[in-house]
Amino acid sequence: MIARGERRFGFLLAAPALIVLAGVTLYPVAHVLVLSLQRRVPIFGIADWVGAANYGFLARDPAFWNAARVTLTFVVASVALELVLGVAVALALQRQHRWRAVAVALLLLPWCLPGVVTARTFEWIYHPTGILARAAAGLVGAGSTNWLGDPALALGAVVAADVWRTMPFVALLCYARLLGIPAEVYEAATVDGAGGIATVRAITLPLLAPVLLMVALFRTLDALRAFDLMFVLTGGGPAATTETLAVFAYRSLFQTLQLGYGAAVSTVVFVLVGATAALYLAAAGRAEARR
Amino acid sequence: MPGERDPLPALLREFERLHPGITVQSEPLPWTADVQHQFFVINLEGRSSGFDVLMLDIIWVPEFARAGWILDLSDRFDAAARAEHFPSTIDAARLDQRVWAVPWVMNVGLLYYRRDLLERHGFAPPKSYEELARQALVVRGAGDVRDGFLWQGKQYEGLVVNVLESMWALGTDVLGPDGALLPDAARAANALAERRRFITAGVSPALVTAADEEVSRREFGAGRAAFLRNWPYGLALFDAPGSPVRGRVDIAPLPGGGALGGAHLAINAATPHPAAAWDLVRFLTRPEAQRRIADAVGLHPTRPALFESPALLAIFRGARARPVTPWYQTLSATLQPELSAAITGVKPPARALDDARHRLHYLLAR
Repeated sequence: MIARGERRFGFLLAAPALIVLAGVTLYPVAHVLVLSLQRRVPIFGIADWVGAANYGFLARDPAFWNAARVTLTFVVASVALELVLGVAVALALQRQHRWRAVAVALLLLPWCLPGVVTARTFEWIYHPTGILARAAAGLVGAGSTNWLGDPALALGAVVAADVWRTMPFVALLCYARLLGIPAEVYEAATVDGAGGIATVRAITLPLLAPVLLMVALFRTLDALRAFDLMFVLTGGGPAATTETLAVFAYRSLFQTLQLGYGAAVSTVVFVLVGATAALYLAAAGRAEARR
Repeated sequence: MPGERDPLPALLREFERLHPGITVQSEPLPWTADVQHQFFVINLEGRSSGFDVLMLDIIWVPEFARAGWILDLSDRFDAAARAEHFPSTIDAARLDQRVWAVPWVMNVGLLYYRRDLLERHGFAPPKSYEELARQALVVRGAGDVRDGFLWQGKQYEGLVVNVLESMWALGTDVLGPDGALLPDAARAANALAERRRFITAGVSPALVTAADEEVSRREFGAGRAAFLRNWPYGLALFDAPGSPVRGRVDIAPLPGGGALGGAHLAINAATPHPAAAWDLVRFLTRPEAQRRIADAVGLHPTRPALFESPALLAIFRGARARPVTPWYQTLSATLQPELSAAITGVKPPARALDDARHRLHYLLAR
């Protein structure tokens, strides 16, 4: 047991860090909360106390619900695809013996590119008369596909770009974990007569699970605040079908300078992200306890 | 000013020679409207006097005036001096009957058409959007081009501009003269429905719903369309050596008049040198300076007297300002997704406008 004096000393040592943390997180959060209760357009000197009116309007604002729906779809689709493809690529890497370093380096490339560069590249790929549209026209024989201008396709196109960009992150972390699984475990499985698929199901995936959970947490939180790809590729369009909550908040905060309403949107996003993180951490805790 | 032929440094050095004791520094900003706007907001809201004269996108002037960031130039910029500019450029710089900026360079939406194709079918340049649609269908139907009429339908400011032009052609606007929001909602919905019909009827290709200026300009420049709505910068590109449409493109006014674009010069309200700043504004907006800018980078003057081509002059005379209001950014950002929903068929036009109106009522506290 630690003596009380020692504990106090510990707090004292940690105090500067705690104060800085509180300053850069708690203060802005509190400020945003206060802002969200006002009609606030600072450049015009407008600062009216409106209470919960911003939240009331937000609850009825179809544009907000649309952004929430788009964000949810984007998160589920992109994270699921990234996890499945990432694990598949990691397993493939594990089995590959020649050129493995080259494969890893190639895999890293999309992950290294700045988001805006990725978006610009995909803008050309998705261009109505670009490579992809021409290829699709050649295959199906139909007119050129309007990837970014068709409300039914645009979000899928953005998800695909995001998967291309971040799947390597998942693959590399999983691959690193796979390297840490001792060969004896696999040998024992082979001796017991387990086939390839059975081995993956009984050994690889359970051992990967903690890493996968962490990766899923990172990716989900990242996807929840997705901004750059859609902002550059589609500007949130067409018909706001790619307008995530982050883009929606940006519009309110920075384009129209409606700080009060924008703050209300940000607060909701903050709560959403916090709740998601808590869910994941609880799941991680349970997984830890089971072992 | 973009490019290697930027005339600004030479103009500034000349100003310094004429005004001994004054040195002028220019600070280039990123060429994206959003980023420029943010730069100004941060610096001006902080009452920075780091710059004296600002180049403002025409749609920001009332906003900056209302925010108290720029000087009222009404007295310095008198009626006689204003009369030398296109009236639309002065209208765009007004708030509360005062004038807050001096027109510097000008842009206007116009109609490019393939002269060779229209002549082949015996058409004169269209006077209305219905006529334009009919001609586009005939020319397309004859197999002369893949696409009829190209415009900007991506969810961004350009879409608002294009829909406004359709509204003007039908005699209505987003803001009425008294500032009322969508004063004639039925007619506004008709204008929006017309844009949707262009796509469903094959007048315009589906790609317009993702097209900005450059996407549409390149398609037309490759010879794939009969008509294009764009800014005047395309003219030089279409007539450049090696262009597939060289010598076959002509221009006409848009049926309801083209949207006014361009930039004005304003003076930072926090400047310690208002007199020198005004001298610089006057110097840079003089006819000679505007002509040099036009010759070097193709941005057009705001003075009718400097136009040599009667056709171009007529088009510039017909320019109309987008709604002149301090709330333009909110107006446009709210309209963009709704207009996009209407032209892609996600929402009926009337409902899209209604939804936009509903949001604007809350955001503008009406």
